[in-house]
Amino acid sequence: MSEIKKIKNLKEFSTSADRVVGANLLCPGCAHSIIVREVLNATNDDLVISASTGCLEVCTAVYPYTSWDASWIHIGFENSSTAVAGAEAMYQALKRKGRLLQPERTPKFVAFGGDGATYDIGFQWLSGCFERGHDMMYVTLDNEVYANTGGQASGATPLGSSTTTAPAGRVSYGKKRHKKDMMAIMAAHGAPYVAQVAPNKWKDMVKKIQTGFQTEGPVFINAMSACTTEWKFAPEDTIAISDLATDSLVFPLYEIIDGKEWNITYRPKNIIPVRDYLGAQGRFKHLFKKENEYLIEEWQKRIDSSWEYLQRREESRV
Amino acid sequence: MADKMDLLDVEVWDGNMAASQAFRQAQIDVVAAYPITPSTPVVENYAGFLADGYVDGEYVMVESEHAAMSGCVGAAAAGGRVATATSSQGFALMVEVLYQASGMRLPIVLEVVNRALAAPLNVNGDHSDMYLGRDSGWIQLDTFSPQEAYDLTLMAFKIGEDHNVRLPVMVHQDGFISSHTAQGVKTIDDDTAYNFLGEFQPFNAMLDFEKPASYGVQTEEDWHFEHKARQHNDLMTKVFPKIDEVFADFKKLTGREYRILEEYAMDDAEVAIVVMGTSVESTRIVCAELREQGIKAGVLGIRVLRPFPMEKIAAALSGVKAVATLDRSSPNGTVGMLFNEMSGVMINATERPIINNYIYGLGGRDLTIEHIRGIYGDLQENAKAGSLQQPLQQFIGLRGPKLSFY
Amino acid sequence: MAENNGWDQFDAGTILFSFNDKVDNIATTHAENRPYSNSNSYTASVGDWRVAKPIFNKDFCIDCQFCWIYCPDMSILSRDKKMVGVDYDHCKGCGICVEVCPTNPKSLLMFNEQHDDEEALASWPEKESKEK
Repeated sequence: MSEIKKIKNLKEFSTSADRVVGANLLCPGCAHSIIVREVLNATNDDLVISASTGCLEVCTAVYPYTSWDASWIHIGFENSSTAVAGAEAMYQALKRKGRLLQPERTPKFVAFGGDGATYDIGFQWLSGCFERGHDMMYVTLDNEVYANTGGQASGATPLGSSTTTAPAGRVSYGKKRHKKDMMAIMAAHGAPYVAQVAPNKWKDMVKKIQTGFQTEGPVFINAMSACTTEWKFAPEDTIAISDLATDSLVFPLYEIIDGKEWNITYRPKNIIPVRDYLGAQGRFKHLFKKENEYLIEEWQKRIDSSWEYLQRREESRV
Repeated sequence: MADKMDLLDVEVWDGNMAASQAFRQAQIDVVAAYPITPSTPVVENYAGFLADGYVDGEYVMVESEHAAMSGCVGAAAAGGRVATATSSQGFALMVEVLYQASGMRLPIVLEVVNRALAAPLNVNGDHSDMYLGRDSGWIQLDTFSPQEAYDLTLMAFKIGEDHNVRLPVMVHQDGFISSHTAQGVKTIDDDTAYNFLGEFQPFNAMLDFEKPASYGVQTEEDWHFEHKARQHNDLMTKVFPKIDEVFADFKKLTGREYRILEEYAMDDAEVAIVVMGTSVESTRIVCAELREQGIKAGVLGIRVLRPFPMEKIAAALSGVKAVATLDRSSPNGTVGMLFNEMSGVMINATERPIINNYIYGLGGRDLTIEHIRGIYGDLQENAKAGSLQQPLQQFIGLRGPKLSFY
Repeated sequence: MAENNGWDQFDAGTILFSFNDKVDNIATTHAENRPYSNSNSYTASVGDWRVAKPIFNKDFCIDCQFCWIYCPDMSILSRDKKMVGVDYDHCKGCGICVEVCPTNPKSLLMFNEQHDDEEALASWPEKESKEK
């Protein structure tokens, strides 16, 4: 196991040399690259990275340019997890056979996928990788829609959100189903480490990523990615919206160790009403119509009960 | 270090064991695989070899065939020798990734144990899966027996891994008829087999951290055409020379000769059957019989389906008066693939044979010696009359009223 | 320029290489010292995406590095724990850096793309009194 990079504080962290570069095609204000930067900068080890078809992939690898200063692969929509798993298997094979080109290096294998790729179309692939126990990290860039294709609903889209395939209209308030609980699902695989992170809480994220990199076996990271284009807020507000998400507990930050030990890693000093989080985004605008306001109350109740559940899980120490 | 196996000079192997042994001898670095009838024994035998210490590569038992090919692509891009096996539904499931693998120019060997595609569900041998993958950009080789499955599977690695080629290779064999039928297979010893392939030479490997590579970038209307044209060009110009070279080296090594187009009694043939898979051998038996009767019969066995040996076929068919194309896959609304390919070869020739089409053997239905005699009979009628004397397309070996079209 | 390359003028398989030379210790080598090939987007610019640009006033900066970490485009240049400037080739003008800057007055402010930098610095706003 390689030495863990020392990141005492943000000043120290700022000496990092990014391995994803600019002049990519991501929207101004996109949280994806903030997340990717925090992940890649958490280690000084070599990297083998994969990405599913989606915003990150499409915007960082359009011929004749690549925005990756590391080995990188995109195969398709479902299989960034399996791509990196295959690369990791090759690494293990060549290591055993003594044919590694740079045997002294200890690369990290990281797969990125959007929520569509992770919660929906690539779910089986991800599950298989975790069942097999590859030594890899999977980072979901969760912007709660199929953003790259224009904002269609995914398994991660929360209730009441307006998307192009479940739009708010005269007789509908948008998506009727709840968001899938990927954290619990991946923890149930017995993964050694599973964590939910948000880019505005950089210290929490980097600590978890480093834990993930030091963990042997498959690690699942669910990263909240506030999408200026699809959530409909001004590009400069990405961090502010992320703060609303974490501080209203809509997106709680916690980790699950060995599928059993739950730790809440961020407790907001002041918990803000869910209403403030919803009100800041155009995709929930219709919830503020008189006939839909009951949904805001339901949201608050649900977030409260989820937070309650989280705290009980943390206490129970099963 | 993997243990070596002491093989007899001739082993009794079915096509699946022959393929598994070739996999073992190639000392593959990563096999990502999923079981499906009738290719399952390839995966099982390989697992057995691993458990007994004959394999020291990684064996990733994935959760679907799409994942199998995805894992293979990731591993191949990382930089090493990669292979897997599948059939039918599994092949269909991984079709998306087949195109991605060839587009990324990754040498991967895929053993396809040909089986019918559902619906209706059928586990037996026909070529519908082979036909599904035709345009995927892979080098595609066909074998007619377990011996050939062994030989061609070994050669597949050597062909695809050449740095001037860098294309994935499919090796086809008939499900059950070849895969589950044993014959005496002449073997090569482990060291000789491995040395014939040589150690895998990495090229643009992702695990070469001194030269990080980005795989799978997107190309839009300003670039896509050039990239696909390049792939097509390399298939058209780089592959046959390499296959010729590998076949020649193999002949030197073993005495067994393979050819890009397997011509049997074609030199002065007047009537010929174009066919693939195990039926090639059945057809040769009838052909030999007819030759003894003084009938100028011939057989064209398609060894390399892609790239398509157009010039060789044109040369072989020139002077032939009547040609039957046998397709072991339902074309579902038109003439068979081999009919179209042969017609395409001959369309601009000054002298063209009469070409017709037979659909046979779907879902494992036997093509018998009697059937083949009947086909040659049709051909002789056509050759004599100088025109097509039967419907263009006939179904052979089917119960019910005679089914024919055009 | 790669733009008009024909089908025979690139690496087969659409594979792209970021560098022309090997880089030792890439994780500790900043971008300006990496031997980029013209296949890496670092050599390109998206500066023309901007309608507004951030201007940096180091007089007020406390080197907290919030702008560095929250910039989605790696366009806040930080060296030796000090904020040194904006990479205008890669800045898309999203404005996050300004929003997260904690100083009063802010050390980064958005100006019209055509605004003169010297003029902006000379007429920097005063410290704001916060109303609670």
